[in-house]
Amino acid sequence: MAERTAEDPGGPDAVLRALADPNRRQILRLVRGNELPAGQIAAHFADLTQQAVSQHLRVLAGAGLLSERRAGTRRFYTLRPDPLDDVRAVLAEFWPDALTRLKDVVERDHPPTGATP
Amino acid sequence: MTSPDPLIASIRIAAPPDVVFPYLVDPALLARWFGDAIGSTPEPGGAFAIAFDDTKSVQGRFVSIDPPKRVVFTWGVPGSDVLPPGSTTVEVVLTADGSDTVVDLTHHDLPRSELPSHQAGWSGLLKELERVAGEG
Repeated sequence: MAERTAEDPGGPDAVLRALADPNRRQILRLVRGNELPAGQIAAHFADLTQQAVSQHLRVLAGAGLLSERRAGTRRFYTLRPDPLDDVRAVLAEFWPDALTRLKDVVERDHPPTGATP
Repeated sequence: MTSPDPLIASIRIAAPPDVVFPYLVDPALLARWFGDAIGSTPEPGGAFAIAFDDTKSVQGRFVSIDPPKRVVFTWGVPGSDVLPPGSTTVEVVLTADGSDTVVDLTHHDLPRSELPSHQAGWSGLLKELERVAGEG
């Protein structure tokens, strides 16, 4: 609905393709706010080979839905926040902080008379 | 163009609008609370850049200056795909309330993901997919 002003790494088609598979959706639920090593993710899928899980992880990372961190030989995955909502989240903290600084500076320069601080 | 869901922030300052207003447009006063303002020209069309630290900066251009009530400027980050300069607009409205000023800031035209816009981020997208797919 909203206008799109930037592309995700994989673009919307890659995202939708990545999300079309129920196992991949399950992987995203597992790593939502919860970084997990590849092996532990695979352990949740008794009916899938490790290779199949690795392939799903590659598809999700390629669509920009997962971020991957390597530590030694292990790979850790976590849900990647939407970069567009990331911007909102940063500004949602930035503006109130900025206005608080404005208030402090103005009221220091022009002390209110007889008002409670 | 306006985002259906702008960001809004407000604060009350114990000083009248004509005291507060210069802090929104005067480069020397902007630097006191906002960041180092470079080349800020307080007139419509005037461009400014604000450096927050070595890595973060913002570019903008004044769209409208109506002292002591309202100022509108564009807002963007050089080199950003998500938030390029000129892509979003910030409106600051000052309203006198007794001897105070109520400052209402609205950040318009922020980019949203085109998928479920009523919920934040991928977790919202997942919920939507679950609903569509009829999964728990």
